[in-house]
Amino acid sequence: MSFLRDLGFEDVHVSAHFDCFHGTKKESTARKYGVRGANVFARKSNRL
Amino acid sequence: MAIACPVDLDTQVLRSEVSKVYSRVANDPNGDFHFHRGPAYAAQFLGYDPVELAALPPECTASFAGIANPHAIAPILPGETVLDIGCGAGTDLLLAARKVGPGGRAIGVDMTEAMRDRARVSAAAAGLTNVEVHRADATALPLPDVSVDVVISNGVLNLVPEKEKAFIEIRRVLRPSGRLHLADIVLDAELGEDVRRNIDLWTG
Repeated sequence: MSFLRDLGFEDVHVSAHFDCFHGTKKESTARKYGVRGANVFARKSNRL
Repeated sequence: MAIACPVDLDTQVLRSEVSKVYSRVANDPNGDFHFHRGPAYAAQFLGYDPVELAALPPECTASFAGIANPHAIAPILPGETVLDIGCGAGTDLLLAARKVGPGGRAIGVDMTEAMRDRARVSAAAAGLTNVEVHRADATALPLPDVSVDVVISNGVLNLVPEKEKAFIEIRRVLRPSGRLHLADIVLDAELGEDVRRNIDLWTG
């Protein structure tokens, strides 16, 4: 998430993960590359 | 999220392939895809409220193909202006429209015509008059600077090759202290260049 902070976003954090490929044809590919869905929050700095 | 894109990746081909896949999702939501779709998936896998989903037109929610839940990240408030980047058939967009109410705006952008058409029809069917849908991609948002309170996006930015450009656009349109509710793919490790160059892995 460092790229978001570098762009001037604050309070950057992942609030949840989701196994969105579970049961799909791409489940093994997703596991191979460690791919998951995630909720990410960021706030634009009030100085920008 | 992998930000860097191989310099020789043909981004026009990628855009075209992404658009083809999601046109199929819009026109044939029950077709054969490598990912889950629909309201049951949204409720069971991603924590969407099934009552809220049931209140939306089925032609909208049938094509839902998100990978996380931007509505679970933080509240969206009445009167706010929300931008949904890659709004698809409109599930997240219409949920946002209900939250911001008649005093707010819910703006969707999508590069796939079939999805935009479905979102507009669904907004009308739901009786929502605070929804607008525009043709655009994430790297050139058709909105003025500092005009948006919340940007949401669900399973879209991972498909954008020029990610830095997209996030600079998000920063541009957000008001100071505006929020980004990003629902997207994360990886445990950076992908190799050969993987990032494989368009089949981008589109499934």
